[in-house]
Amino acid sequence: MKHRFDTQARSAVKPAAPRGPSPYLLSSLLLTLGVARLCTPAALAQQIDYARPVDAAPSPEDIGEGYALPVVQRPLPRPVWRETADVAVLLAALGLCAWIVLWRRNRRELVLLTIICLLYFGAYREGCICPIGAIQNVVVALTDPAYAISYFAIVFFFLPLLLAVLFGRVFCGGVCPLGAMQELVVLRPLRVPRVLDKVLGLFKWVYLVLAIWFAARPVETRDFVICRFDPFVGFFRFSGPTHMMLIGAGLLVLGLFIGRPYCRYVCPYGAILSLLSRISWRGVTITPDKELDCGLCAASCPYGAIRDLRAEKSSCLFCARCFNTCPRHRARGQTETAPQGPSQSS
Amino acid sequence: MQYHRQRVISGKGVGRAEFAEALRGLAVDAQDRLYAVGDSKLVVFSLQGELLESWATERPGYSVAVTTSGTVYVGQPGQVQLFDPDGKPLDTWRDADRMGLVTAIGFGGDFVLLADAKDRCIRRYDQHGKYLGEIGRDNRMKGFLIPNRHLDFAVDAAGVIHAGNPGKHRVERYALDGQLLGHWGRFDGRDPAGFSGCCNPTNVALTRGGHLVVTTKAEPLVKVYTTDGRLLALVGQGDFDPNCKNMDVAVDSQGRIYVIDTARLQICVFAPADSDSTTQPAQPGAGETVRP
Amino acid sequence: MNQRPTRREVLGHAARGATVVGLGGLGLYLARKASGESVWQINCDKCVNSRLGAVGVEACDLCATDCVLALSAVRAVNDHAKCGRCYICPAYFDIKSAVDEEGLPSQKLCPRDAIERKPIGWIDPDDPANNFYEYTIDEKLCNGCGECVMACKEPAGLTSIRLVVRYDLCLDCNRCSIAIVCPDEAYDRKPLDEHEAAG
Repeated sequence: MKHRFDTQARSAVKPAAPRGPSPYLLSSLLLTLGVARLCTPAALAQQIDYARPVDAAPSPEDIGEGYALPVVQRPLPRPVWRETADVAVLLAALGLCAWIVLWRRNRRELVLLTIICLLYFGAYREGCICPIGAIQNVVVALTDPAYAISYFAIVFFFLPLLLAVLFGRVFCGGVCPLGAMQELVVLRPLRVPRVLDKVLGLFKWVYLVLAIWFAARPVETRDFVICRFDPFVGFFRFSGPTHMMLIGAGLLVLGLFIGRPYCRYVCPYGAILSLLSRISWRGVTITPDKELDCGLCAASCPYGAIRDLRAEKSSCLFCARCFNTCPRHRARGQTETAPQGPSQSS
Repeated sequence: MQYHRQRVISGKGVGRAEFAEALRGLAVDAQDRLYAVGDSKLVVFSLQGELLESWATERPGYSVAVTTSGTVYVGQPGQVQLFDPDGKPLDTWRDADRMGLVTAIGFGGDFVLLADAKDRCIRRYDQHGKYLGEIGRDNRMKGFLIPNRHLDFAVDAAGVIHAGNPGKHRVERYALDGQLLGHWGRFDGRDPAGFSGCCNPTNVALTRGGHLVVTTKAEPLVKVYTTDGRLLALVGQGDFDPNCKNMDVAVDSQGRIYVIDTARLQICVFAPADSDSTTQPAQPGAGETVRP
Repeated sequence: MNQRPTRREVLGHAARGATVVGLGGLGLYLARKASGESVWQINCDKCVNSRLGAVGVEACDLCATDCVLALSAVRAVNDHAKCGRCYICPAYFDIKSAVDEEGLPSQKLCPRDAIERKPIGWIDPDDPANNFYEYTIDEKLCNGCGECVMACKEPAGLTSIRLVVRYDLCLDCNRCSIAIVCPDEAYDRKPLDEHEAAG
C-alpha cells in the first residue's frame, strides 16, 4: 500500500527562475527601486545662524507667581493591552481551529471561527500585524543590530509555526484573515492539474526569498515587499493604492473558481508552513476512524490537497470540507461521545 | 519718501565676504565711515564700501557705537571693549551680571548707555564704566519684552532714548533718568504702519532729521517713522533674505540707511531719492520703495 | 496501537523535536534583543515645517493626510521651555487676519482650533498685553497638519513647536504611508529611547 505521506517531500526547494505572474512582480520592484534612487533627498537649506546666546524664552522667575514649567506632553507608553489581546486571540483562535477541525470535525463551526477572525484581525486590526509580514520583521531583527523587534512580532511569527509542527496548517484554516477572504468566495473550484499546481506553488518560495532579500537590505534600500504587495490590506483599511486594490479584487474573482490562489501559490508564510506541516505530529484525516479507501472524498477538496485518498499535510488548508463526503463520518453522526481524534501521523 | 538701494557691501556672492558666521552690529561715525561687527572682529568700510580697517575683538561683537571723538565701543557677551580710532584696545568694561549680552550702545549727555538683552533692560554708565542706573526695568514685565533676544535703542540730540519693545510691538521713549515719556506703535498684521509677527520692531536708529528708522523680521523690512509714530516710508521690501532676524540699522549724515542682511551677511545701503530727506512727510502707509 | 514505535515514528519525533527546539531557540534569541521597540520618528532637521531656513513656503500637511489612521498619529507639541510665551503668538493667531478692537488678530491659525491659550504667572488685571501666555496643543484635536509648526519657526517665532509621532497611537506599520510620501525623507524608524520620549 502506498504510504500515506507526501511523496514529493523535498527538504529544500531551490528558488526557481520566476515564472507566471512573477515577471510583473520583479519588474515593478525594480522600477520602484529605480525611481526611489532617482528622487534624491532634498538639499538641506542654507545654514542660518539662529544660535541664541541667551535664552530667548522667559524664565519661570520672570513669569512670576510661582509658575512652574509644565512637562512637555509625552506620548504615553504603547498600550500593551491591545497587542496582548492580539496574541491572546491568536492563540485562542489557533487552538480552537485545531480543535474544531481535528476533533469536532465540523465545518459550520469552522466557518464561524473564520468569520470571527476575519472581523478581528481583518476589520478591527486592519490586517496589521500579521505573521506573513512578521517574516520581514524577523529578518530585519536578525540582520540589523539597530532594529528592535517587539515581542508581539516574535510571537506572531513563531506561534503559527509551532502549531504547524503540532497539527499542520491550522493558521491557514480558521485564523488568517487573507485566507478567510478567499475562503468565503470559493464558489465552483476547478481542479488544477497537478503539474501546474506544483509549478505555480514554487512561486511562494520565490516570493519568500525575495521578501527575505529585500528585508535584509540596509535601511536605505530596505523594502518590505510583503506589506507593499499585500493584496487584501486595502480591503481591510477601506483604502489603498489602486493597483493593489485591483489585484486584490482580481484574486477574489479568481478565487471563485480556483480555491485560495494566494494561499496556494503566493503566500510566503504558507511556504514555510507547508514545509513544517510535513513533519506535523497530527494531521487531518478525512475519516474519523476506519479507512475504507472508498474514494468518495477524492474530488471533495477545493485545494487539491487529497492525494492518494489521503489529506496531504503540506497543502491541506484545514477547511473541513472533506469530512462530509466520508461515509464513516456520516455513519458516526455529528456528535460523538468519544471521538477517536486524528490518527497519529507516523 | 522714497529710498532706492544704492549698493551692497560685503556678503556672500558680492565681492569679498568679510564675515563668515555672523554680522550683528552697525554704526556710522562723524566722518560717515561704516563700522560693522560680527564674528570676532570689527571692520571699517568707507562710504563706497572699501575696506579701510579691520581688527579683532576679544569676543564676538553684537553692537558697536562710535563717539564724536572717534572712540569705538564694541558690545560683547559679558563685556564692552573700547578702541581708539586706529584699533588699539583702550579699555574693557566687564560685568557678567550687568552686561550679559550688550546688543546696543548709545551716548546721551555724559552717559554711556548699554542695552543688556539677557536682563532685558538698558543700563547707564559714566565715561569710566561706573554703573549708574537702569532704564526700562520699572514696569510689570520687569524689563523689555524681547523674545527675539535683541534689545536696541537710539538716543536723540535731546537725550531722549527711543527703545524698541518688540514684544509689545511699540517703540518707547525714556528720559536719561529712566522715566517713561511715552510710546507709539501697535500690532497689525496687514497695515504696514503697524508691526506684525510676534516681536517687532527689532532694531532702531535715528536720522539726523529726527526720524526713526526701524527694522522688522518675518518679512524683513525697514520702515521710517516720525517720532510720534507716523509711517513715512517702507524701505527694502523684498531686498532681504527672508531668514533675516535682528537686522541692525544705522543712518549717516546724508540720511543714507545702512541695514544688515543677517542671512547673507551683507550690508545694504539705501539712499534717499531726494537729497533733502527730512522735509517731505508722505502719507502714512504710502511710500512703497526700492527699485534696486 | 501498542506496537513498538517504528523507525519512521522515531524519526518523526526527532524531526519535530529538533524543529521545535530550533524555532524556540531562534525565538529566544530574538526575544533577548526585543527589550526595545523600533518606532517611527520625525527628524526635525529634515522636516520642512521645522527645518530652519525654509521660510515663506506652505506648511506641509502630509503627516495629517497620509496616515492610515482616521486621525493621524502625528501631533504638534509645544516645548514650553523654548516658547516665548508671547501675547501675540504667530502660531496661535493668524497674524495676517484683520485686527479686532482689542488689538489682537481676529482669526486663529489652527484649522481645528486645537491650541489653548491661557495667561500665566502674575496676571495684570488691567492690561492683558502685560501677561505671559502659555500655549498648549490639545492632543485630541490636533491632526498634525503642521500650520502652527511652520508659523512658530525662526525667524517668525522661536521654533518651540514641532511635529512628533505619537507612538502610543501609531500602528508602527512596516511601510509607514507617511514615510513613503514625505518629500524630505524625514521619517526614521529608530529604537525608542526613553530620553527621546520627550515628545
